[in-house]
Amino acid sequence: MNKIIADENPEVMQWLSPLDPGRRHQDVRIDRLDGVGNWIFKTSEFREWRSNEGGADKAVLFCCGNPGVGKTYLRCLIQLQEVGIIADRHQY
Amino acid sequence: MIDNLCDEPCGEEIGIAMFSSDFRNQQEQTTTNIIGAILKQLLVKGRVLEHVQKAFQKAKNEVGGRGLRLPDIVRVLGKAVAILPRVFICIDALDECPPKHLLELLRSLKDVLRESPRMQIFLTGRPQVEAEVTRYFITRLTIPIVPKTHDVQSYLENKLEMDPEPMAMSNGLRADILRIIPEKISEMCVGASTVPIPCVILY
Repeated sequence: MNKIIADENPEVMQWLSPLDPGRRHQDVRIDRLDGVGNWIFKTSEFREWRSNEGGADKAVLFCCGNPGVGKTYLRCLIQLQEVGIIADRHQY
Repeated sequence: MIDNLCDEPCGEEIGIAMFSSDFRNQQEQTTTNIIGAILKQLLVKGRVLEHVQKAFQKAKNEVGGRGLRLPDIVRVLGKAVAILPRVFICIDALDECPPKHLLELLRSLKDVLRESPRMQIFLTGRPQVEAEVTRYFITRLTIPIVPKTHDVQSYLENKLEMDPEPMAMSNGLRADILRIIPEKISEMCVGASTVPIPCVILY
């Protein structure tokens, strides 16, 4: 979340939601180990989802797994990767 | 570098929002609040902010300053998503959402997606919520997540390197840890469809 916008619009922020999703993401980012989980970017499912060529039919990617297998860290990884892709969107 | 970029407003009009469900905070994690939290993260773009400010003023001017209802916030999110050329929404731990809110959340996302196919959604959850995800997103892509041996080894190597008392462990024990734990975790994953994996935080 952009802190300046949040600071300048406290009423709007409170009206939208009392939840602050950024805090959890920050914790996961700190604990994440570089390189771990990168296999997901090589899967055909991820590539198909990321390409967005399938439109709304292929717009949802569900990572399914038991507790403790690292789903949250993969989610963080995907999110960080998306931000990186903005800088270099031709890598996919 | 990527982590730093994450704190900066993006150079192009791509919206990214995330949310992690948490069973410890179920009371506050209503569908309306979750969608609102997603929307907050899309406000980095001026036009989206203007749109949300207008919606806020309109709600404020109504008698009693009516609070947000789910259909309202879904409509606001839909318009915000339509403003941006591309939007990524990541929602983690769907299984920690109360069932009522989970179904509402998935239905709301489906409604927004129907109007804005440029939106892409990344979901994670335990196998028990797969039926709900399928119910709303029948053509979704699925990746089953199991620990990879290489990832487990990297994690262990990192932990051993950070051991504050490395001399207290023999080389033999160190080698056994690096060999046996990845093997055991792989064995557990073979039966993962029937036996839950113990809660080992791998990454």
